[in-house]
Amino acid sequence: MNELNAPTTTPQPAAPTTAQPAQDPAYGPAVGLSLKEKEQVRQLEGIAAEKTARDYQHIVLAYGVLWALFAGYGIFLWRRSARLRADMNDLRRTLDRHPPGP
Amino acid sequence: MRVLRQALLLLRSELRQELRDFELLLTASFFTVVLLAMFYLSFASLQSKAHLAAIPGLMWLTIAFVGVLTLTRVFDREREADTLRALLAAPVERLAIYFAKAAMTLAVLMLCCMVLVPGLWLMFPAGAAFAEQPLATALLALLGCGGYVAIGALFAAGLATGAGKNTLLFIILYPLTTPVLMYALVTTRALLDHHPDLPSYLGQMAALDLILVSIAALLFETVLVGSGARSTSPKGQVPRTLSREPSA
Amino acid sequence: MRKLLPDLCLVAAMPLLVYSVHRVFLETPNERQMGTAFKIFFFHVPMGWICMLMAVVCGIAAGVQLRRRSTMGAAVALAAAEMGFVTGLGVLLTGPIWGNATWGTPWTGDARQVTTALLWLVIVAYLLLRHYGPRSSDRLAAALAIFGAVNVPIIYYAVKLWKTMHPSTGVVASLPPEMWASFWPALSGLLLCCLGLFGLRIRQLVLAEELDVAWVQAQDRA
Repeated sequence: MNELNAPTTTPQPAAPTTAQPAQDPAYGPAVGLSLKEKEQVRQLEGIAAEKTARDYQHIVLAYGVLWALFAGYGIFLWRRSARLRADMNDLRRTLDRHPPGP
Repeated sequence: MRVLRQALLLLRSELRQELRDFELLLTASFFTVVLLAMFYLSFASLQSKAHLAAIPGLMWLTIAFVGVLTLTRVFDREREADTLRALLAAPVERLAIYFAKAAMTLAVLMLCCMVLVPGLWLMFPAGAAFAEQPLATALLALLGCGGYVAIGALFAAGLATGAGKNTLLFIILYPLTTPVLMYALVTTRALLDHHPDLPSYLGQMAALDLILVSIAALLFETVLVGSGARSTSPKGQVPRTLSREPSA
Repeated sequence: MRKLLPDLCLVAAMPLLVYSVHRVFLETPNERQMGTAFKIFFFHVPMGWICMLMAVVCGIAAGVQLRRRSTMGAAVALAAAEMGFVTGLGVLLTGPIWGNATWGTPWTGDARQVTTALLWLVIVAYLLLRHYGPRSSDRLAAALAIFGAVNVPIIYYAVKLWKTMHPSTGVVASLPPEMWASFWPALSGLLLCCLGLFGLRIRQLVLAEELDVAWVQAQDRA
């Protein structure tokens, strides 16, 4: 072997591989390296997060309305019951004052 | 046949009463003209394409408003003179009373349509289709007003027998007559657009009118005088109805 | 046992409602197009169904009231109308909230939305007539309820026909099977809750009527 023989080809930089699995499991393939792509992904994630937050507001409002309606009707029934009980007590007192004849 | 004969007799009496002073006809027609004027002021500045979409709504809203006015007046006469009670006590089929009142109201509304339809055509040129298809227009007016009157006569009579508040007629009638008015809206739009399905829509309106008249006729006597069934309250007492609950 | 039925319905509804909320939020996937806001659907649609059911029950009870002059019929009709009012209002409020979240517009003019709104108006008219009408208006109110019940399919068909003039802006996709599994507990819980409240109201109205009769008798005796 002649040590003075310089290699005739210059080493080429390795081509980026996307399909080949990484040798080390700690490292995944590098994708979306471009800044533009990263910005776009961040923007879309932001829109999605905004929509989810807005949706949750609507969900809380809708469920709140439902439960408020049922609670309101429940209170209405409870007050009517109280009124009927008071009326029944009045009737009982009236009957005690004037018991039925023989 | 007996019902029809009695209904015609009652209708003749109504018409005779109306022909004495034309009160109902004149007030209803004038109200129609006033509404037309208000609609013209509100919508004349719109494009003619918008007129085409608006004309059905204008027509049937007018019928709805004039209809309540007419029904209220037809039965107010009876209430003022207390003749409805006399009519119910007389040996007259209740159904005949219903048909006579409904026919009277329908006649007044049809006469108002004779003012309304030409008025809409004159004010909004998009209504030219009314003049091009007079028979279809007449049938549409008859079926639409018929369905409205079928429901209205029942409830106006019911409110007239008690110490009825007339404002309640508005509350009852408008929600119930919405299906009839919607059908009339769609059919009117089909007429204005020269739609090929117009005969089908008119047929559906006729079927709807038949259903409404049948139900109203079935309920009329029961609503006015109650059914003949035994009450279910204890000790045979006539039960107080559940319209009021005891106050505290 | 029959007297305790409304209370039993309410007791059974509570765990079912808790379970259905848990299922809807933690075990049901989000709908692809509508996202998280679709969770509203699981209570919005049962309310709509219950509103229609109560309108029909009101009409049938009103028919019995007219035919037999039955106080029980009158009580059932009024209770059904009140429950129809509450559930109808729920549908009309949650529908626009859902529409605003999903399509950006509260009112889409969907046939079912318009039908429910018109039916709700009929129910309100019935309640106004029962509460503010003259004494003889109970029969009239019953006739209104019967017309209202008959109108349920007519209104729906009329609105569908009317929709040919106004195309809708949003369409609800058909439900995938895994979502039906979350829908039924929500429907059952809500239905039991409504039936319980409905039964309690009937009991109150019948008791009020019986108290009226007892008062008249007591005053006669005095």
